[in-house]
Amino acid sequence: MPWELTLPETLLHTSPGGLEQAAGAGACDPAMQNEAFAAFYSRSSRPLWAYLVRSSADPALADDLMQESYVRFLSAPGAPSLAADGETAARLYLFRIASNLLRDHWRRPRPASIEEVPEEFFSSRSDAAQTDSQILLEPALRQMKPRERQLLWLAHAEGYSHREIAKVMGLSSASIRLLLFRARRKIADLLRAPAATAALGRNS
Amino acid sequence: MKLTTCPHEKEVRQSIASGQWPAACPPELRAHVAACRACGDLVLISVAFREARAESLAAARPVPPALLLWRAQLRRRNAAVERIGRPLLGAQIFALATILAAAVAFAGFEAHRGVAWFTWSFWRDGLFSAASQWNHLNSGSLAALGWLLPITALATLALLGGAVVYLATEKQ
Repeated sequence: MPWELTLPETLLHTSPGGLEQAAGAGACDPAMQNEAFAAFYSRSSRPLWAYLVRSSADPALADDLMQESYVRFLSAPGAPSLAADGETAARLYLFRIASNLLRDHWRRPRPASIEEVPEEFFSSRSDAAQTDSQILLEPALRQMKPRERQLLWLAHAEGYSHREIAKVMGLSSASIRLLLFRARRKIADLLRAPAATAALGRNS
Repeated sequence: MKLTTCPHEKEVRQSIASGQWPAACPPELRAHVAACRACGDLVLISVAFREARAESLAAARPVPPALLLWRAQLRRRNAAVERIGRPLLGAQIFALATILAAAVAFAGFEAHRGVAWFTWSFWRDGLFSAASQWNHLNSGSLAALGWLLPITALATLALLGGAVVYLATEKQ
């Protein structure tokens, strides 16, 4: 087991003491001190995880990429600081890191065997726990391209503007507008199709 | 594909974002959404994605932030160690090159003195006479050192060279 993975007990709990101990060594940017980071993390971690899990359809991968995104965010010398640049800029930068990590993941070869597919992928398939949005949205999202899923999530779940999405995705605003328009048409058709099928079933 | 946008889209978007859709919206807007394809798509997608977002936010189990701070600290420290280690590696390579140059210079000097390093007879005669020279050495004859000295020097250089190569490659 690598020594890096053997954590001190204090770090395994969200106690303020553990936090100070971790950040107190001065490794982080002075502007990104422990309390500021903890507050930023509590506001941004869940939306980031939601973005990653809906884009990748893999909760385990979303966990890994979320942690890696924050570690890179904290380690990057050019990352925006909360005090100077504000939380919006920091959040966009974080989403950009996560998008790049997702892109890198998709560029790598796919799992070759069934053992490598995460268990959550199968365990979340039970119909009993699925809500309306999962029943309609998940099959539709699975038919979309990864980039389309990212665009739609950023626009409609996170409510980002075209300019903000362009920053996150590393594309121009004009490209985002066109890609989003197409993706919206496509998913609307996919979402309407099961509803129309169900209506026909009820009438006949 | 033609990009057609509806002038009411912004209004629809705002009403969804503020949670007014559909109950707190004016009936005209609801009627417009029912008739307009672009606004209908917008409502359908936005509502579905917002519900999915709420479900995912509830399902998220983020790790303690201290863990991430600690990992980031480790990574920065490793990067710093890597930066510091670069000149050390250069010094090790320089030491190896110096030893190799010394060995080559020594061999060249011996060859210039008339020692035929690359002939079979040199090594054969040397091995056969080693025992007798050792006896001479034991009996106190310093003349025997004439042959043993270059061999000892070469062995020392080889040993030092091996140590330097080990130190240089240890990091990898």
